[in-house]
Amino acid sequence: MARGFGDLEAVVMDRLWERDGATTVREVFEDMLRDREIAYTTVMSTMDNLHRKGWLSRERDGKAYRYWPSMTREQYGAALMREALDAGGRSDRVLAHFLEQISAEDSAALRKVLRRVGSMRVGSGKGAR
Amino acid sequence: MSFAVCLLLYAAVVCVVAPRLLPPLTRRGSAPGAAVAVWLIVLTSVLASWAAAAAVLVAYVARTWIRPDPLGVRECFAVLRSAAAGQHGMGTQIGIWALTLVVGAFTITLVARVGRSLLRARASSRRHARSAQIVGRRVAGVDGLVLDAPQKMAYCLGGRPATIVITSAAIATLEPPHLDAVLAHERAHLAGRHHLLLAATRALAASLPRIRLFTRAETEVAWLLEMCADDTAARRHGTAALLAAILALAGADPIPSAALGANTVGVCARVARLTDPDTAAARVRARLVLAAVTAVVVFGPVVVWAVVHGLTPHGLTPCGPFTA
Repeated sequence: MARGFGDLEAVVMDRLWERDGATTVREVFEDMLRDREIAYTTVMSTMDNLHRKGWLSRERDGKAYRYWPSMTREQYGAALMREALDAGGRSDRVLAHFLEQISAEDSAALRKVLRRVGSMRVGSGKGAR
Repeated sequence: MSFAVCLLLYAAVVCVVAPRLLPPLTRRGSAPGAAVAVWLIVLTSVLASWAAAAAVLVAYVARTWIRPDPLGVRECFAVLRSAAAGQHGMGTQIGIWALTLVVGAFTITLVARVGRSLLRARASSRRHARSAQIVGRRVAGVDGLVLDAPQKMAYCLGGRPATIVITSAAIATLEPPHLDAVLAHERAHLAGRHHLLLAATRALAASLPRIRLFTRAETEVAWLLEMCADDTAARRHGTAALLAAILALAGADPIPSAALGANTVGVCARVARLTDPDTAAARVRARLVLAAVTAVVVFGPVVVWAVVHGLTPHGLTPCGPFTA
């Protein structure tokens, strides 16, 4: 399923987030080998890239490195959310939100309108169109 | 009156009039696609006028001043002769050079700023998308990346890879048909390449924050694109499902009003047009009005050109930018 290099990074991060503590490339490789055909060097370079980009931290352990995620998935998720929320009115990111975040009063007003519409619809039996 | 000055005046008039005239015509969202087109045409015509004015002025100055070839010299003498004859004061010449400098510098700065802003937006959107690819989960039945987060949100990022992100909280709130409507809305953005239009209008608004035409265009186009995506989603999944999705997500974590722009107006307008859709006649009328506005804006410069050209034989000096 995963074909591109970016996808491979996602798969590796998935594995590392599921594990506790530090892991060697060999362990990740053997883990991945159960699901797919993959070369050891591919896993190694993917993990090296992830380290370079800051996703993974590592520490030398004898001849090999032991890797672990720099942040939890939740922490990365929260950081992305902050970025997305921030971008609402700014020019340096292009995000199209389904709904812009709205204020409490506006939210209440909107709900009132929608509730009225809802009851109108049910009352007149008009349905979706 | 010079052609370049005519163009600059025309652009100035559009900059002043359009942000007042257009929003009432497009706000209702009767024909959102056509309305987006009109906004873009207006922006393009202003930018094209500036570019043309800069080109005409630079060409004129280059011909009469910088280039020492025989033609230029003759041209120069002609200017001097006419200056001596009192048709053109030296002051006028200096004025033209100053105007050329100002317009040229403005054009170059604008191009640089817009370019930088576009590049930065693309880079940061790509970075965000890549991170989302890694952090987001792929969930069966959801055509998008699922991000574990307490905020109820859905958004899309254009470019490659085009990415739709939806939070786990939003999925938990939305019933399956409503979720489909949200995803269809986001897919409509990506399919319509709305991110490119947004990037352009945002870059312009950020580069020219003082000119209301561009800041207005940014917000109006953003709302209209939402309406376009709404229409696609509603066509596929029904208006009721889309409205229900808006209701579910609007109840999200409202943030303090101080932190917002005018975007809420956009949400209310979207709901209003979904709950109380226009008749076919109203939509046709809206399109006709928009077409008329476009005609005036587009043919404005042509009329200016024709008037200037028509007038030249009757006493206006056919020199430099006046005939270009």
